[in-house]
Parts: sequence; C-alpha cells; structure tokens
Amino acid sequence: MVQVKKLKDGSRQIILTAKQFDEITKVLSELAAKTKASTILMADISGQLITQRGNTDDINTAILSALAASDFAATAEMAKLIGEDAKFKLLFHEGEKRNVYLSNVGDNFFLVVVFDVSVTLGLVRIYTKKAIQNLLSVFDSTEKGDDAGKILDQDFSSMLGDMLDESFK
Amino acid sequence: MFINWALQEINLKIVYYGPGMSGKTTNLEYIHSKLDQSLTGELVTLKTKEDRTIFFDFMQIEVGRIKGKKPKFNLYTVPGQVYYASSRKIILNGVDGVVFVADSQKDRMEGNIETLLDLENNLMTMGYSLETFPWVIQYNKRDLPNTESLDILQKKLNFFNVPHFEAVAIKGTGVFDTLKSIINGVVQHVQAQL
Ligand SMILES: Nc1nc2c(ncn2[C@@H]2O[C@H](COP(=O)(O)OP(=O)(O)OP(=O)(O)O)[C@@H](O)[C@H]2O)c(=O)[nH]1
Ligand SMILES: [Mg+2]
Repeated sequence: MVQVKKLKDGSRQIILTAKQFDEITKVLSELAAKTKASTILMADISGQLITQRGNTDDINTAILSALAASDFAATAEMAKLIGEDAKFKLLFHEGEKRNVYLSNVGDNFFLVVVFDVSVTLGLVRIYTKKAIQNLLSVFDSTEKGDDAGKILDQDFSSMLGDMLDESFK
Repeated sequence: MFINWALQEINLKIVYYGPGMSGKTTNLEYIHSKLDQSLTGELVTLKTKEDRTIFFDFMQIEVGRIKGKKPKFNLYTVPGQVYYASSRKIILNGVDGVVFVADSQKDRMEGNIETLLDLENNLMTMGYSLETFPWVIQYNKRDLPNTESLDILQKKLNFFNVPHFEAVAIKGTGVFDTLKSIINGVVQHVQAQL
C-alpha cells in the first residue's frame, strides 16, 4: 500500500518506496510507448509531482502538476455545484497541436497525458484506463517504507537552517 | 508532504494565506527575484488584468541535498478576495504549513480577522486546526502611515502565539525571515508528530 498516513493532527503524509516508484515508472513508460504520448506525469492531488515520463525537458513539470491538480479540484467543485454526486473522473483539453488528458488514479493521485492531436483520444483512453488499473495494484502492494522521522531528524533541521541562510543572503 | 524514497525527495507545500491585497504575491515575487536561478523554478501567477490573484501563484524552491535527501518546497499563494473562497480551499489541499500575511493598516483589521476565520474553517474541514497546525503570521505593510501597533495586531490576530514577523514585502524586509520560520516550523512539526 502506498502509505498515506494521517498524523495526530490530521495532516497527511504520502510515502512511496523505491520499489513502488520503480513499478509506477514502468507503468508510465509502457503507457508512453503505447500511446506515443509526448509527456506523462503522475502527481498527488495536492499538486506535488511524483514521476514523469517522455519529453520533460522543455516543460516545467512541477508547474504542470500544480496547474493540473487545481484544474482537477476546480472541476470537482463545479461538479458539486451543479449537483453531481461523484467527481468528474477525467478532463480533456483540446489544443491545436497537442491534447491533454487528465484522469484520477484512486482518491489521492492523478495522471496527466500530453499527446499529439494525430493520436486518437479513444486509444489514449483505453491505455490510460489499463495503466490506472496497474497503478492501483502497485499502490495496494503491502511493502512499507520508512517514516519521515528517519529523514527529518534534528541534524537535518539544523543543516537545512544553514542552507536556507546561505541561499537567502 | 510527499516523500519519494527512490529519488530521496521530500516535497513540502507551504501556502501564503491572507486578505486581498495584503501582499502575498509580493512575498513570492521578492523571493523569486532574490534567490539564485538554480534554486527556484519559474514563478507562475494566475491573475486578473488588475494583477489580483485569481487562482494561485506557484513556485518551487530547492536548496540542494542534505544528508543525501533533497527537500523541495512548493510555495503557493491564495486569492484573498472574499468571493474566491472555493479557490482558497482547493489550494489548501495537502498543505504542510501556512504563512498568514496580514495587512497592518488600521482599516484592514476586519479583513484580517475574517480571513483568519476563513482559514480556520478550511483547515477544520481537512481535520486540522490553527491551534496545532504549523503557521506563522507576517504583519505586512509596516511602511505605511496608518498602521495598527504591533501590540494590537498581536492581541487581535495571534491568539495561539505563533512566530510573527513585521514586514515590508515590497522592499523584502521580513520576507526571508518569514519563509525560514515556516520551513522550520513544518520540519519541527513533522518530527514532533512521529
Ligand atoms: N506600501 C506597501 N505596499 C505593499 C507592500 N507589500 C505589497 N504591497 C502592495 O500591495 C498591493 C497588493 O499586493 P499583492 O502582493 O498583489 O497582494 P495579494 O495579497 O497577492 O492580493 P490578492 O492576490 O488580491 O489576494 C500591490 O500594489 C503591492 O505592491 C508593503 O509592504 N508596503
Ligand atoms: Mg495575489
């Protein structure tokens, strides 16, 4: 299971192990090959990029994830306003050269698939759906990662403080 | 917070919250203009023609590796104007820490209080509370003539006694101190939770 931990104060922590990350990356690579998508991202619903595939050099993917997450969340609010019980499950933006297809992966994640207009949407939908099933089973695997506490120890805090001082001169 | 063990990355989300025109976007603009290009990505601003934030501003900061780990800070601002309430809620999703940017001007006190209550409401729907959540207050626009005294601002807004900073965001005064403090607060909080 991808660990989505609720801490004492209710805040949420998502922890991905190296193995899960590798498997997720594999699923995305496969999806990229099958759909000839130019770029594929997986992000968590708060907008944090998890992994990416395809051409990501000339796209700022951190920004793309933040925008896509908000797009998703805004559409979910719209759904509520017009009386839809469920969130919309996918979004599609049609461009001149490229299309963007967004789809949720369970409750905590979503996929962004950027593809050429010459590729049919039907094909992208079919393979994305399959990829999502594979991703969900990766998430269900039982392996556990270490806690954040192991990383963010006292040492880490003080070194981070120093580095921030250095950067903020 | 999102931790990726394969890449040894830690992602933290920090949101600048506060009433309309208090200076949230100005904070990010200053940070972006001063930090080395290698540390920050682009600053994205989704705004109206009048430069008011319509959805959010976003920017990512990296400070390099620490003990092999790569912390990344995702900074967001919300739109302060009252009628963008649902956008504010959306941006708070998955937040790890909040900077509340208050406007020190006397006639903005009402707006500050209202927005702070709005923040508390939104945090509560996510199961958090201002009492335990990591947040700091920045009293901005200290350069203006009609500002409230620090004492009164503290009494009216800082009821949980969180770290506070006086700032003049257009000049950058107090901006980095505020950011450093919230980053620290978030990291301490994560330690305390475990
Ligand atoms: N005098 C003074 N003006 C400031 C200061 N900080 C910001 N401003 C000005 O206040 C105005 C609003 O600043 P923004 O940063 O856009 O405010 P905001 O909080 O992002 O506003 P919304 O996006 O509408 O919520 C701008 O004209 C800024 O130049 C300050 O410290 N002193
Ligand atoms: Mg703004």
